[in-house]
Amino acid sequence: MNNKTHIPDGFLSPSVFITAFVITIIFWAISFKKTKLTDKQVPIMGLLTALFFAAMMMNYPIVGGTTAHLLGGASLGLILGPLAGCISVTIILVLQALLFGDGGLTTLGANVLNMGIIGIFVPCALFLLMNKAVKGTGKKLYTVIFVSAFVGDVLAAIAAGTELGLSQPTFQYGLSVAVPAMAINHSIIGAAEGVVTMILIGTLLKLRPDVLEQSPILKRLSIFQNRKEVEE
Amino acid sequence: MAATNKKTTQKTIVIGLTVALIFVLIGVFVLSYSMETLDKQAEQLGSEEKPLFNPPFADYNIPELDNVWGGLIVGIMGTLLLFVVSLTVARLLRKKKS
Repeated sequence: MNNKTHIPDGFLSPSVFITAFVITIIFWAISFKKTKLTDKQVPIMGLLTALFFAAMMMNYPIVGGTTAHLLGGASLGLILGPLAGCISVTIILVLQALLFGDGGLTTLGANVLNMGIIGIFVPCALFLLMNKAVKGTGKKLYTVIFVSAFVGDVLAAIAAGTELGLSQPTFQYGLSVAVPAMAINHSIIGAAEGVVTMILIGTLLKLRPDVLEQSPILKRLSIFQNRKEVEE
Repeated sequence: MAATNKKTTQKTIVIGLTVALIFVLIGVFVLSYSMETLDKQAEQLGSEEKPLFNPPFADYNIPELDNVWGGLIVGIMGTLLLFVVSLTVARLLRKKKS
């Protein structure tokens, strides 16, 4: 049984993994400095981190005998905010690399860049843009969530393909093979990510709207904005 | 009010961790096989990963067991460990009350 799901040591060239580390370290510094969680967000961060570690253990069959797993970036970013989400994914990836040999030490920066930065900041930015345009409620809101999560996953996969493609000859395939292979195959898991993100946020909207109201991203939802205006 | 909040939080944690453990069960018994797209291409060309160290629970298993039960134990312990570690980090990142 092979349970590896992230880029391992030996697949990326030094120039690629060092560049990825530099970008990631900048995001780590900002995330740890700027993240200020509320009392309600603290247990939710613990819970969602554990939940998406467990979700990553499920490998969905896609095409050509290959599999893919959920990233969780969209859910973590939208619910906790992108900075706390980045820290959450970092915790998962560090422990996966150190304890389970999933991913690598030299490739940790690249894996965090793909799943913890691109996979989080892209859905958050898209959500803010689209939510502002459509003032998302009901079906529109869920469409915005789905599209944000889907695009985030596909772009994260394209980033991984680009890093591997630029690592020739360390990784034998170039950009023309690595990028389309990752993008096409991961668009299927991107759809699953979209559905899971919709279900998770929909459930929290019903059961714990107080937690979503404290999210730096979801607090901009019209239902929370309207409530705020009424209170004022 | 504070007691109600605590109860709601505890309920959320219990429900969330139960869902996580269901994910582990599905991950171990149903969707365990993993062959990433690029791993497959790399394998076809004879490219291999070069790990820098031997992790204690390689491939999400216990070396002496190396079966589904080992995977289940590691999955459950790993999920609980992630919960504790991330909760500790989250507490350190808590907004200071003025």
